[in-house]
Amino acid sequence: MTVDKHSTVGLILPALIALPPLIGLGYAVTASLGLVGVAPGGSTSRYLREVIANHTTWAALGWTLWITIASTFLATLAAVFLAATFRAESKADRFGRIVAVLPLPVPHVVAALSSLLILGQSGLLARVAHSAGIISTPAQMPPLVYDRLGVGLIFALVWKEIPFLALIAFTVLKNRGGMLEETARSLGANGIHTFFYATWPVLWRGMLPGIVAVATFVAGSYETAALLAPSRPLALPLLTMERYTATAMDLRPGAFVLAGFTLLLSLAAVAAYGATIGRTDRLQ
Amino acid sequence: MKRAGIAISSCFALLVSACNSDRPEIVDRAAIARLPWENVVRLARGSAVTWRMWRGDPSINAYIDHWVVPRLARDYGISLRAVEGQGPEIVNQLVVEREARARGVADLVWINGETFHNLRKAGLLWGPWAGRLPNAAALDSTSPIVMRDFEQPLDGWESPWGRVQFAFIYDTVRTRDPPHSFAELKVWIKKHPGRFTHDQQFTGVAFQTALMYSLSGGAGKFEGGFRPALYKAASARVFGWLEDVLPDFWRAGRDYPLGVAEMHRLFANNEIDFTMSYNQNEVVTKIRQGVLPPTAHALVVTDGTLANAHYVGIPFNAPNPPGAMVVANFLLSPEAQYEKLRAEVWGDGTVLDVAKLTSEWRSRFESLRMDSHAVPPAELTRHAVPEAAPEYRERLADDWKRLVRDRAR
Repeated sequence: MTVDKHSTVGLILPALIALPPLIGLGYAVTASLGLVGVAPGGSTSRYLREVIANHTTWAALGWTLWITIASTFLATLAAVFLAATFRAESKADRFGRIVAVLPLPVPHVVAALSSLLILGQSGLLARVAHSAGIISTPAQMPPLVYDRLGVGLIFALVWKEIPFLALIAFTVLKNRGGMLEETARSLGANGIHTFFYATWPVLWRGMLPGIVAVATFVAGSYETAALLAPSRPLALPLLTMERYTATAMDLRPGAFVLAGFTLLLSLAAVAAYGATIGRTDRLQ
Repeated sequence: MKRAGIAISSCFALLVSACNSDRPEIVDRAAIARLPWENVVRLARGSAVTWRMWRGDPSINAYIDHWVVPRLARDYGISLRAVEGQGPEIVNQLVVEREARARGVADLVWINGETFHNLRKAGLLWGPWAGRLPNAAALDSTSPIVMRDFEQPLDGWESPWGRVQFAFIYDTVRTRDPPHSFAELKVWIKKHPGRFTHDQQFTGVAFQTALMYSLSGGAGKFEGGFRPALYKAASARVFGWLEDVLPDFWRAGRDYPLGVAEMHRLFANNEIDFTMSYNQNEVVTKIRQGVLPPTAHALVVTDGTLANAHYVGIPFNAPNPPGAMVVANFLLSPEAQYEKLRAEVWGDGTVLDVAKLTSEWRSRFESLRMDSHAVPPAELTRHAVPEAAPEYRERLADDWKRLVRDRAR
């Protein structure tokens, strides 16, 4: 079915799709101001001020930003590498592409549990190290889950996001890459030059919406953080949930303030996307 | 701005009520309080009851879905549906429903302690009703643990369902000589660095509360409502005790497992030597599920371990209070309480006074075989101490996060 975007249906449809999140956003804003929710006390900026003044908020924000940037960057890098490696129509390359996108349907929570089973201090790696006589107790294994750097969390997120970004990269290269690269090669460019001057510019522009989607998803992802993140600093989604389900009711409006911060983080990613695309469009 | 809040709430009401249009209101709420019990049962017959409860334990889910649900359908034609939602989530959900002026979803909620306190304070419960249940006559009415919920009188606003007691779990092979008091535990932790921790949630706070009692002269000191000065002195002792042993905690006290599921996993994988549970019999069910090793054993400290009861309440906007009352009454029946008590089912303590039951039921309860991994009932009772006012727990949870967890080195 095609919808004429100038018709009434065409205009109402996007509004209808946007309505539930907008109502949610409206509720979050009014709840963070104490107008609705479990601890309403009239319009007040008390909760906003309290959350801003709390160092835990900034630690959570900074840590979540680190996880978002690190996992998105590594997943992008791996996806680009896969796309550049397995791009021909040969059987081996087609097989490589299939294997690369295989983890796509695996739920994030399964990826997190796998990360726990592999990287935990009593996990697969630790058991191998134990059998090899490198460590004798679980505590001797360097902490890779519930750890300050978020190694286990980043590992799980990267493993889950690679197939998504690789799928986009494969499609971009298939549709747009060939002719430019051929031209570059016929002008005498070597492999590395062809990649950096012909393949990469096409690839990153095509992948950018996917990269932004991954970054915004990672910033708000709860279940992987719940299974793998440390207790300090607490990841932003965990801190939000902790406050939303706190037994002390006056802590809950602060959860809506934190939800607003997560939204701002995602909006910043979308704004950066808009600015980058706008700039390159002007340059071209 | 207030108008904006109302507009948002109205939009929400529209959404929520659209979702609930297939659940007609059964009867005038106020009239139910005056109806004879037979009429309540008649109104409940053939109705649907939605029960919002914690669904995180396969043993509990199996008891509800495969034992309670078919019996209610057979005896009363009631179709019971258990849905996910616990503690603070129940409060949040009911607040949103009230703001949206929407008809409620849940007829029955599984609650206790702070949740009961918050629901009562916010006027989100319907009642009083629990005193009208015929099976309530057999309740253990002399037990302060059953008849007072974190020191709060029930007054018929919730009906007791089960009782539990905090217990440590250790491995009899790994730890041959476990500590039996908090003083011994401190020595043990210092002797075995990196092998002890607690979680960040409900059970961890229960551990700290029991520690607070022990360091401040016992549970009796905390009776009679929340006293800020007492809390200040008692909590300082708790944080002092922790400060002293934290370097010898798991990960030197810098990180903490999120909940008991993570604790059980760390314990089963030999990363720590103790896990804990706010159910004295969880060790038995978790061994059966293969979560804990068969050499695991429960342990209570002689300083006193927390015991509390859990209850069912009816939300202020429940569509089917008669159905909820019949379900609550069934849950209090000797057969439902007996089944729940069996270690191979759930191992949840009974709230009934067995002496008030018929001789047949009395002997059945008394002949229940004690699992060798559990703590004997007499020992449990000897060391059980009730929960103090909910504010103690709320403040302790908040202060621990602020002063210990978020400040970890």
